[in-house]
Amino acid sequence: MNALSPQEFEARLREIGRERYHHRHPFNLRMHAGTLEPAEIRTWVANRYYYQTRIPIKDGLILAKAQDPAFRRDWIGRIHDHDGHRDGEGGLELWLALAEAVGLDRERVAGQRDVLPGVRRACDAYVDFVASHDLLESVASSLTELFAGDIMAVRIAAFERHYPWVATEGLRYFRARTRQAPADSAFGLAFVLAQARSRELQDRCVAALERKCEILWSLLDAVEAAHARPRLSPHALARLDDDEPMIVLSERAVKLGGSGREILQLCDGARTTLDVVAELAARHPEEPDLAEDVHHFVEEMTKLSVLVRET
Amino acid sequence: MEAVGHRPYNLVAELTYRCPLRCTYCSNPVSFRSVPDALDGEAWSGAFREAAALGVVHVGLTGGEPTLHPDLAEIVAGAAGAGLFVHLVTAGTTLDRDRLAALRERGLRSVQLSIQDARAAESDAVAGTRAFERKLAFARDAAALDLPLTLNVVLHRGNLDRTDELIELGRRLGAQRLELANVQYHGFALANRAALLPTAEQLERAAGAVARARTAGDGPEILFVLPDYYADRPKPCMGGWGRRILVMTPEGLVLPCHAAAEIPGLEFFRYPEHALRECWESAPGIAAFRGDDWMREPCRSCPERSRDLGGCRCQAFQLTGDPAATDPACALAPDHAIVLDARARAARPAEALYRGDSRAKRPPLSNPRRDS
Repeated sequence: MNALSPQEFEARLREIGRERYHHRHPFNLRMHAGTLEPAEIRTWVANRYYYQTRIPIKDGLILAKAQDPAFRRDWIGRIHDHDGHRDGEGGLELWLALAEAVGLDRERVAGQRDVLPGVRRACDAYVDFVASHDLLESVASSLTELFAGDIMAVRIAAFERHYPWVATEGLRYFRARTRQAPADSAFGLAFVLAQARSRELQDRCVAALERKCEILWSLLDAVEAAHARPRLSPHALARLDDDEPMIVLSERAVKLGGSGREILQLCDGARTTLDVVAELAARHPEEPDLAEDVHHFVEEMTKLSVLVRET
Repeated sequence: MEAVGHRPYNLVAELTYRCPLRCTYCSNPVSFRSVPDALDGEAWSGAFREAAALGVVHVGLTGGEPTLHPDLAEIVAGAAGAGLFVHLVTAGTTLDRDRLAALRERGLRSVQLSIQDARAAESDAVAGTRAFERKLAFARDAAALDLPLTLNVVLHRGNLDRTDELIELGRRLGAQRLELANVQYHGFALANRAALLPTAEQLERAAGAVARARTAGDGPEILFVLPDYYADRPKPCMGGWGRRILVMTPEGLVLPCHAAAEIPGLEFFRYPEHALRECWESAPGIAAFRGDDWMREPCRSCPERSRDLGGCRCQAFQLTGDPAATDPACALAPDHAIVLDARARAARPAEALYRGDSRAKRPPLSNPRRDS
């Protein structure tokens, strides 16, 4: 197949953004419509911080792949943007200011204490992607920045209008990104358009950008799921009090361990998954990986149609 | 609760062998017409209580066409009353929405509907009767009643090339689950094997369609079962002989699998003459191939024996005449050539027999090596 012209190729990349970027994710739609609860905003801020911490690491990997000093000179600016030139500066610092503005404990967020397993998985998948792909695909995966400027503007307006309890000082990260994202993406786009000269390379760039959109999407899936209220599927027959506790479904049964039974008993459609975690943590203060286990269990049981989730 | 380490979880309750369809790959006994429906609603309800005490949690009401049993409503209520998840496996041509709703009231929780093909004419040709439109109506009724629906399609040479359409049909009908199971060559299907066995190329295309649908991810969960004849290892048939699944026939015979009664010389017990626990734990026919003591080489020392559990005893008997032989589907089996030979002949055209066909009256299995 012939290579696309630069115009066609750019149009193709932008089409991916229109269709798959997370500005269309239900969680973002609700954020921008002003219907998120403060607890949902807080979960998002605490978790998105983990994503922010992965960015300079990802950019460091990209730097290490680049042969061209001019490329490195530009790209290293991204690390400075995130980390600043001294303590108390940079995008990570601004995000922690946002965390404080929404009522979170700065140290707790910085210590990544409340990162959801699904969010950790998504963010780590991004770093793994960049580590295992070449420079061109890695840069292509960063092109979600093409669509970031717009979403930041929408977000600032939405916060000012719908979430007045968040001090405007907290929104400085978004304001900084409305300036940085367009400049960064212009550089990245020019590089990708210039380097991807065959159809095969263009297709790989397309796949990289699609993958990145999936990763951002699944990050929000995990945040959304944490606030959903799981309950037993009306189609399931629960045999929780048997010697061998299990859930029976059409043409299958799911056996439960002791902790599975306890988690399921708390999934009553009133508690969110985070409430279930909190309740179990209170009961079993000695369990270290409890949050991880509960989120994972609820996710698996939802896939198996044992649980249904209401947002 | 434990049956000497063999707790059955699922009861396959064959209520009747009667069926309005005449599928060419039917795996029920060829001489099925002579078998009476010996158990009434009360007897089935007793069996369900005893099954629950053995550890059974799920019952599939099947047949034949289970809805032709006159006591179906009582049977559903009896199973639900015993604490079982009640699932109905039907051809979908016999129940209207009101009757299905009444069964749901009695405790029915989910249904499996068989469809023979994605298109009306082709589906009806396999079923030997006009049934397709009625089946679609049944699927809509199940959706309207919020009964989870599994769509089951038996795949063979004649419909494998429409796997895409079948998946689309499952999506359209709102099926939670789509079972695309290639014909298992037992009973009537073995007699028609030459007409039914697909080519390797067909299977590959179908597997591709399944993979694409799974990636798209917006349709039913798909279970795709390859024919044994194209796998190099046998399946763990029924999850192991006499291990997890208990089959009861319309006469009350308790079996480890619905085809096991065709193996001569195996003695099974009948309910209610014997208590269900006794039928399951003590019948010599079930004990014969439970566990792995019965295995010979190459199975006995094979590291995979805990995975495939010896494969299928009925297939071993039907293809070699010896139920203790290694399943010929296994590439390590001494008789694997039988399967390779059938595979090689898959590309040739052959004519299918229908139930009720005069040529089909003689059980085709009197000489198991007849067509090998």
